[in-house]
Amino acid sequence: MENKKKSIWVFGDYRNYYQNRVTLQLISKAMDLAKAIDAEVCALVFGHEIDEWIMEYTAHGADRILAIDDPALKSYSTEQYLAIMEALVKERDPEIILIGATDFGREFAPRLAKRLQTGLSADCVGLEITPEGLLVQIAPSFGGNMLAEIVTEHHRPQMATVRPGTFKEIPHDNSRKAQVERLPLMKGLPAPRVRLIEYERCAEKEHSIENAQVIVCGGRGMGNKNNFAKLHELARILGGGVGATRPVVYAGWADHDALVGQAGKHIKPKILFSFGISGAIQHTAGLGEADFIVAINKNPQATMMKMADVAMVADAGDVLNSLIKELKKRIRE
Amino acid sequence: MLKLVVCIKQVPMVTELPWDEKTGTLRRDLAPGMMNPACKHALEAALQIKEKYSAHITVITMGPPTAKEVLYEALAMGADGTLLICDKILAGSDTYMTSWILAQAIRKHCANVDLILCGAFTADSETAQVGPQLAESLNLPAVAYVEKIEMNGRILRVRRIVDNFRETMEMECPALVTVSIENYLPRYVGLGGLQSAFGENQIQVIDATALGIAAADVKKQGSRTKVRRVFLRKTQKENEYFTGVAVNVVNEFLNKYERKISTVIGKSIEGKERTRGK
Amino acid sequence: MQFNPCMKHKLIRDSARHFAETELAPIAAEIDKNATFPVAVIEKMKKLNYFGLQAPKEFGGAALDSVSAAIVVEELSRVCAAVGLCVTVHNGVAVFPFLQFGNKEQNEKYLPRLARGEMIGAFSLTEANAGSDAGSVETTAVKEGGDYVLNGTKIFVTNGGVCDLALIFALTNTDRQQLQSSVFIVESSYEGFLRGELEDLCGMRANPVSSLFLENCRVPEENILGKLGMGMKIGMTTLDNGRIGVAAQALGIAQGAFEAAVKYAKERQQFKKPIASLQTIQNYIADMATEQAAARLLLYRACELKDAGQPYGCEAAMAKLYCSTVASKTTSLAVQIHGGYGYSKEYDVERYFRDAKVTEIYEGTSEIQRMVIARAVLAKLTL
Ligand SMILES: Cc1cc2nc3c(=O)[nH]c(=O)nc-3n(C[C@H](O)[C@H](O)[C@H](O)COP(=O)(O)OP(=O)(O)OC[C@H]3O[C@@H](n4cnc5c(N)ncnc54)[C@H](O)[C@@H]3O)c2cc1C
Ligand SMILES: Cc1cc2nc3c(=O)[nH]c(=O)nc-3n(C[C@H](O)[C@H](O)[C@H](O)COP(=O)(O)OP(=O)(O)OC[C@H]3O[C@@H](n4cnc5c(N)ncnc54)[C@H](O)[C@@H]3O)c2cc1C
Repeated sequence: MENKKKSIWVFGDYRNYYQNRVTLQLISKAMDLAKAIDAEVCALVFGHEIDEWIMEYTAHGADRILAIDDPALKSYSTEQYLAIMEALVKERDPEIILIGATDFGREFAPRLAKRLQTGLSADCVGLEITPEGLLVQIAPSFGGNMLAEIVTEHHRPQMATVRPGTFKEIPHDNSRKAQVERLPLMKGLPAPRVRLIEYERCAEKEHSIENAQVIVCGGRGMGNKNNFAKLHELARILGGGVGATRPVVYAGWADHDALVGQAGKHIKPKILFSFGISGAIQHTAGLGEADFIVAINKNPQATMMKMADVAMVADAGDVLNSLIKELKKRIRE
Repeated sequence: MLKLVVCIKQVPMVTELPWDEKTGTLRRDLAPGMMNPACKHALEAALQIKEKYSAHITVITMGPPTAKEVLYEALAMGADGTLLICDKILAGSDTYMTSWILAQAIRKHCANVDLILCGAFTADSETAQVGPQLAESLNLPAVAYVEKIEMNGRILRVRRIVDNFRETMEMECPALVTVSIENYLPRYVGLGGLQSAFGENQIQVIDATALGIAAADVKKQGSRTKVRRVFLRKTQKENEYFTGVAVNVVNEFLNKYERKISTVIGKSIEGKERTRGK
Repeated sequence: MQFNPCMKHKLIRDSARHFAETELAPIAAEIDKNATFPVAVIEKMKKLNYFGLQAPKEFGGAALDSVSAAIVVEELSRVCAAVGLCVTVHNGVAVFPFLQFGNKEQNEKYLPRLARGEMIGAFSLTEANAGSDAGSVETTAVKEGGDYVLNGTKIFVTNGGVCDLALIFALTNTDRQQLQSSVFIVESSYEGFLRGELEDLCGMRANPVSSLFLENCRVPEENILGKLGMGMKIGMTTLDNGRIGVAAQALGIAQGAFEAAVKYAKERQQFKKPIASLQTIQNYIADMATEQAAARLLLYRACELKDAGQPYGCEAAMAKLYCSTVASKTTSLAVQIHGGYGYSKEYDVERYFRDAKVTEIYEGTSEIQRMVIARAVLAKLTL
């Protein structure tokens, strides 16, 4: 083997590069882990016309890049990637493989692990190295209320899919260098049995509030119907839904469907934004399962502010406008 | 007639299980079980295929004796055959092991299966791994997170939405799909169906030996992963106040919680300063 | 007697609960407020055998055992008592008499349609002057050729506004010495079958309880259920069974109110802590839980006796008496625990409170149940 050094591989999932930076986040985390076990960080890029990603992964910290650029790999294909990865892993024997827990990653990684006869933990929210050099994979279980520390003791590579957003990417640095290996597509790979007939990118949509991960709730403090309507824009940006208090529904600013509380919907978002809501028990009765609450109210003494994780003492309309503006800036299309 | 297999799992009915600090395990005994929702959607997909193209549906579950319950429910909904894989030596299997056992069972009891349907993920462990790994074990073409299935002879056309792409794919039977909860809203269970399920049917129960699985196999095929520790996630409220001009408050908030927000919305809002290369 | 639900009973409960929570919970308050019968949901229920709980398979029923049937009624009533009422009356006192007394022709003609819900049934005994005293029925049935001609007014008919078939109790002999009543199977399409206006009730508002007018209504002789003159016997036997249903309904209402109260007590903060941490509230909760558990055992005991073919009239009366008492008390406490909010229509407990009361009244008032129980006890050779 030409390369004796241990290697941590990061699978290059670039399909939603600008919205989802999980690959960059994993490269950054792999750099940390690599220090602990004296390894290199190697990013994999399969596809067609992929120079852009090779440069990005280089600038974001990869030491080595294994790239296969071939028209046959124009679109994502679990089966082809599996065959390629199997061949590469057999040849090079990486210590760890990290894959973003995107929908694709979570379909691809389990098959790869099975094929390589190794373990895999899903949707990790933390990674650590033990003193013995084992990868500890911290994965949520039971609806995320519990965390489990998982290790793969006896089989290699150690594999994990990692939830996007868990780690922070390192800043882009054009001066970084990586050893880029451009490999030909292996000959004799089995033809894929799943054929992609058509695909299109879907528009962002607002979600119904029963199962939305993010909910933006507004109360009387939104002032008027027009201001209230802007909550929908924030919800769309966050891929969430809009909820309302009773007076707001009765005033006709929102549909009855949006009512949150004991007389309305019971919601269970991961993040709840609460704009201009006092926090009457009839309303908060519907919030029992909200994970993280951000309340915006000009009255710091409002119950809603006291039960929030983050309480912003400010004008609800102003905060809403700034949030929309800032988020648009930060999420680049 | 098409032969369908649906893999279903029994999961606890509540999302928050009490946690026994002393033994370090979940008090599963406190929560009644139910059919995992995504598995129910997979069964519904199978039932709709059966109605349209005529098929025989076998439901398989691996679990404790009480997991019979979900098989009875499946019968009540319209499944034709059942199989419970139940053996103490199989307890605590990870997805690697589970998919291997399910594969053994399918090879042995449903040899000529045309389509295997699994729930895309389970409510209790959410790994979404068993379906794809089962496909790998049986060397079948597979598509995950499927929302719509059509059949044209032996060609299977499936639709799904993944990572913001709407995709249509085709593959030939035998194949495997994992079904998401976006579509295929499960039918209600009829009372007469339930009564009949208990009246006329015997749940087929098999243990490891009957599957030809020996202790040595369990070791060889056994779980690759090991859970070292399970702990409660810290959920203490910070109740942190930000005051000041709206723009500043918002930026302060976003800077502090960019990671958290990114994780939830699945898009990165991190690194304001970042620029793209080239 | 089993103290742990078997797998079947658990699945029956889960399934009925899932249905009720998905289909009925979102509309229960609204149909109560507007007094509307939820036709669309009822249509779905028909397909799922809710109208043929215990009818045999060959007639399209679900052939459930009595505990299962009680569980179904409990679960519907836990969410929407008015629909629970529709189902328990249809099954318990309209379908049941066919199973007990119907002849082959009658059963073949009516049971399939009843069991599939193509016909919704009603049981019509009560009249203005015949309430607790069921023997005082004044409606008459006079033989004319091969028909009987019915005249009279029935009141408080559950499902009256929508029923397709009613079992009408009428006098077939008005001679004071030989007073005799019979039960007639009357289809709503028969000429002379007229519905009165819907009652504006305190609770159970989504059930179309109405009067029925029989104005020279011709009913063929073969529509006499069982035999001529069996009115009293059919009435009493049927009410024994019906009481199991009302007991189940009452218990379901109590359960719904209880769950709401416990949830609220944990959420509501006063004096800087949840009211559930106050001993007074805990006492309420303990009493409610205990009484419900006891009520449930009484109910299932009556069910098991019935399925075992043993006399169960006294046990059904005890179950009905106790379950309805518990329902009234529990719903009242549930309102109490909610404070002023419990008195508002925004909260479900207000509805439960109104719905519970009538379980102490219909199918024999609590006073009448005590009479039945006392009679049975006094007649016993050993106590
Ligand atoms: C029986 C009953 C049932 C009920 N059921 C429900 C229910 O299911 N759901 C429900 O929501 N309500 C319900 N209510 C109503 C409930 O009691 C409250 O009245 C309602 O939740 C209050 O709504 P709100 O917070 O929007 O309004 P308010 O209580 O008026 O609060 C407005 C808040 O906005 C803040 N504010 C004002 N201007 C600004 C500004 N410019 N910037 C920032 N903050 C500002 C104020 O400080 C205040 O805290 C019920 C009431 C009863 C009696
Ligand atoms: C919503 C609703 C639905 C109904 N559905 C039906 C139906 O589908 N079919 C049907 O036939 N009827 C139905 N009823 C009628 C119901 O069964 C009667 O209301 C009930 O039997 C009591 O009769 P009553 O109202 O005439 O009261 P009464 O008999 O006048 O009783 C008044 C009071 O006197 C007491 N009392 C009477 N006699 C005695 C006694 N001997 N000993 C001790 N106390 C006594 C009673 O317990 C009660 O407290 C319904 C009623 C309601 C409210």
